[in-house]
Amino acid sequence: MNSVEFIWSVLPVLLKGMVMTVQLAVLAIIFGTMIGLVIALMKIDQRPWLNRIGGLYTWFFRGIPLLVQLIFLYYGLPAVGIVLTPYSAAVLGLSLCGGAYIAEIIRAGIQSIEKGQMEAALSLGMTYGQAMRRVIVPQTYRRLLPPMGNEFITLLKDVALVSVITMVDLLRSAQLLNQTYFRPFELYATVAILYLILTSIFTVAVGYLEKKLTLPE
Amino acid sequence: MISVSQVSKSFGQLKVLDDVSLDVQTGEVVVIIGPSGSGKSTLLRCLNCLEQVDKGAISINGQTIKPGSNQVKSRDICQLRQGIGMVFQRFNLFPHMTALENVIEGPITVKKIPKQEAVDKGMQLLEKVGVADKADSYPGQLSGGQQQRVAIARSLAMEPKIMLFDEPTSALDPELVGEVLAVMKNLAKEGMTMVVVTHEMGFAKEVADRVLFMDEGRILEDSKPGKIFSNPSQPRTREFLKKLL
Ligand SMILES: Nc1ncnc2c1ncn2[C@@H]1O[C@H](COP(=O)(O)OP(=O)(O)O)[C@@H](O)[C@H]1O
Ligand SMILES: [Mg+2]
Repeated sequence: MNSVEFIWSVLPVLLKGMVMTVQLAVLAIIFGTMIGLVIALMKIDQRPWLNRIGGLYTWFFRGIPLLVQLIFLYYGLPAVGIVLTPYSAAVLGLSLCGGAYIAEIIRAGIQSIEKGQMEAALSLGMTYGQAMRRVIVPQTYRRLLPPMGNEFITLLKDVALVSVITMVDLLRSAQLLNQTYFRPFELYATVAILYLILTSIFTVAVGYLEKKLTLPE
Repeated sequence: MISVSQVSKSFGQLKVLDDVSLDVQTGEVVVIIGPSGSGKSTLLRCLNCLEQVDKGAISINGQTIKPGSNQVKSRDICQLRQGIGMVFQRFNLFPHMTALENVIEGPITVKKIPKQEAVDKGMQLLEKVGVADKADSYPGQLSGGQQQRVAIARSLAMEPKIMLFDEPTSALDPELVGEVLAVMKNLAKEGMTMVVVTHEMGFAKEVADRVLFMDEGRILEDSKPGKIFSNPSQPRTREFLKKLL
């Protein structure tokens, strides 16, 4: 079998791994955004104790390598009776860690909105929560897109780390194929190309969304 | 309607309001003038609790604001603010909403008024300030004068008893000032209680019941416009007015 034929024959297996990679990245960005929004709101709240909890969260999850977090979740926690499947450990680890970075992105986005916006909302009689929900946070969407797009690409690439906790993602499926066929050059080159295709599609999609969300002037 | 008694306020070491007292009756139009940094904006902002007072008390619309009022249940503050419209120098329209959406946002979110009702009322208000044809435009598509008129309509939509204006025309190109002042004059004629920080002396002469001169956190003079412009009692006022002309 020449290289092209070989790659063609294993492509379905690799694509299955790629679907898992994308799935994990999408779940991580969704849960990570929920976590990130809560942490960001804590960090900018007027109550200092909430600021501290938010600060602690980012300090913790940004300060420990994701690889270490994943290994701890999957191999460390069972020792204290918490057993996670590889899948849930992967989603949890990626979301918790992604959430810490996304919190910083959202906080910066919210703080970039002019102070007068909050004041105008409050002076209509809105509560702080209403003002955030209706006026401040919606204005951050477009500004958040580029950094959130970056974060998604980072997460997409970080998913490769889950191969150490036996998840069969794109990279891991190539490793497994390599054990059978021993054709590392073709396999890993294909993995690299598939990653490039994924990140490129995504970059283009973010650019398109950004244009769509731009307000008319 | 508004009663400010012996209010003081500092930012760190800087005393911005120094024992300020002031009464405004229902339907009165009070214009505040004074040099930049004299505390005019801070006084207005204290009236609707965007700033906290350090000393003294404010009674407004039947509610009382005292030092530490921000810790009072924030629901009371929201209630208080609903009755007070505020118009800012920089308009502060919500850029992600159309003109009409800006106007109906308060009634829908705060007062929970049905959307259709809010839209009907919102269109009437846009009509009233002369920008009904721009209802579906975003703030970024409007001139400064149009934006400020939409901002006034947005405040009016909450049916406030009092309107506060903080230099509403200072950020406008000169040719756009007139259209905003016209809207304000109309409001005054309709009997709205208004406190207006402005340096538009024509406006003050024409519609103000009283003109206050503030300097260094104090109200130095509080007179009828006829008197303050022709014969101010304080040398500082005279100096300030001379520079303005
Ligand atoms: N949030 C703030 N923190 C610190 N200083 C402030 C703040 N707001 C206003 N000041 C200061 O208070 C003084 C009065 O401000 P302001 O009320 O805006 O005056 P005016 O509206 O008459 O120009 C100014 O010296 C200003 O720099
Ligand atoms: Mg000012």
